[in-house]
Amino acid sequence: MKPMLQINSLKKQYGSSTVALNGIDLEVHPNEFIAVIGPSGAGKSTLLRCINRLIDPTEGSISFQGQEIVGAGKKQLRQIRSQIGMIFQHYNLVDRLSVLENVLHGRLGQMSAFNGVFSRYSEADKLAAIALLEKLGLEEQIYKRADELSGGQKQRVGICRALAQKPSLILADEPIASLDPNSSRIVMDSLHANCIEQGIACLVNLHQVDVAKRYATRIVGIKSGKVVFDGKPEELTDRMTQHIYEGKEHQMFQQGVPVEQAV
Amino acid sequence: MKKIRIGHKSTQRQQRWFVGLMVILFFPCFFYLKLDLNQFKDGLHQIPHIANMMMQMSFDQFPDLMDGLLTSLIIAFLTVVISVVISFFLAFVIATNTAPVPLLAKIIRAIIVIIRTIPVTIWVLLAVASIGFGSMAGVLGLIFPTVAFLTRVFSDQIDEAGKDIIEAVKAVGGGWWNLVFNGVTPQLMTAFLASIAFNFEITVAETVILGIVGAGGIGVLLQEYISFYDFKPLTLGILIVFITLFLLEMTTNLIRLRLSGRGHK
Ligand SMILES: Nc1ncnc2c1ncn2[C@@H]1O[C@H](COP(=O)(O)OP(=O)(O)O)[C@@H](O)[C@H]1O
Ligand SMILES: [Mg+2]
Repeated sequence: MKPMLQINSLKKQYGSSTVALNGIDLEVHPNEFIAVIGPSGAGKSTLLRCINRLIDPTEGSISFQGQEIVGAGKKQLRQIRSQIGMIFQHYNLVDRLSVLENVLHGRLGQMSAFNGVFSRYSEADKLAAIALLEKLGLEEQIYKRADELSGGQKQRVGICRALAQKPSLILADEPIASLDPNSSRIVMDSLHANCIEQGIACLVNLHQVDVAKRYATRIVGIKSGKVVFDGKPEELTDRMTQHIYEGKEHQMFQQGVPVEQAV
Repeated sequence: MKKIRIGHKSTQRQQRWFVGLMVILFFPCFFYLKLDLNQFKDGLHQIPHIANMMMQMSFDQFPDLMDGLLTSLIIAFLTVVISVVISFFLAFVIATNTAPVPLLAKIIRAIIVIIRTIPVTIWVLLAVASIGFGSMAGVLGLIFPTVAFLTRVFSDQIDEAGKDIIEAVKAVGGGWWNLVFNGVTPQLMTAFLASIAFNFEITVAETVILGIVGAGGIGVLLQEYISFYDFKPLTLGILIVFITLFLLEMTTNLIRLRLSGRGHK
């Protein structure tokens, strides 16, 4: 099968000294649910943000469904981004808008600026957004303000927003890092189920190896900006896990990366 | 036994230098101005006299003063409304996360720094010099520093609180207009309103004072009374200004409290 996303020797350097990604090669095929694991500061967030160019990579190439992302112009980039959903650790919802409006934001990339600015969403889009919210168990919350929800509910709204894009790829950056175990389970279940059902490929950054093993069809281990493991969950041995996370102490203490910054 | 040091060495040194320098500079400055203690003493004797004159407040000028006050408030209001519209867009042009053309952002930032280093009084004087005395000069002169101030405040708010939202709108493929109107503006609306309320308060205070240099409003009257040693209406004028600013401060505080209260819910 042809990969939908192909990343070749991707490098990202911040400033003159911090090398966040040091030559990443990665292929993503349709229907894959890939967990990206690695210690804080390994470069997981940077990798995800390079894929939709929220961060501009320093070197390398990323091709998404045959289109080159790294050199894409403004308009093409917007068009590519509209096909890639993104889910954030801190949900990144607009607090003062309703839950429904937040979900409808998923449509903005596929609307004219005029219609977007004046929130003129089509009735079909509204129905689809409501259906998504109902599906994720948020029918009671549709007209609440986003900041009235609990963390787990907010993240499900985040998932709805991404799904509203009708994407072929979803990038999730530590979607459960700020949630309690119970909410985490609901969020991961929703994300996983919807991706599988709709044939959306998913790259999800995770801290927790056990969660990664439970959901992923494939696990990618990243350490100091390099892929050190890429295989099936059952191939990820304890020794390998230890190896991946071994860098954590090294990174935190010898290079002086503050914990907060790296998290 | 030697005592254990508890402070941060270089910070303490900095503080000592700072205080030392102030003390050393004080004396030459004091003598440079030839501050005359006798003049000061004479002035003290005058205080009961002036206080006495000011106590004889008269309400004869009340209608004029209220008219002046209304003019001042209108000048301030127009200044703030016009400035808000201009600054709103400029802020998005210069905020790091939303700047469409980084070079343009840099240029505007530099211009804002220049505008802000020039005191408001100078701006109003320039406006008075170019279009003559009156309210129009007040509005024109106040717009420059007000736009500079609001643009700076708005853009800081965008950079600080809008980061996550901007990421989210960009990620769905939204363009610049979407960032501005679908993401940041609803998110930061209350913060913007609070800054505008605060700015209105400052601008009213400035308008009153700047009337004295010819920018129209109640300040013009106060200036006249002072130059004619006309203390009776002056007292009333000062009282009116005081009450207005006091009420304004109370109201804006209330507004800000309510806005932030809603933000925390
Ligand atoms: N905006 C930035 N500026 C400078 N350095 C950064 C920035 N973002 C991340 N880094 C650095 O890049 C490295 C990788 O960070 P990140 O991708 O956030 O890792 P992870 O998500 O795996 O914790 C870290 O050393 C981090 O400090
Ligand atoms: Mg991260």
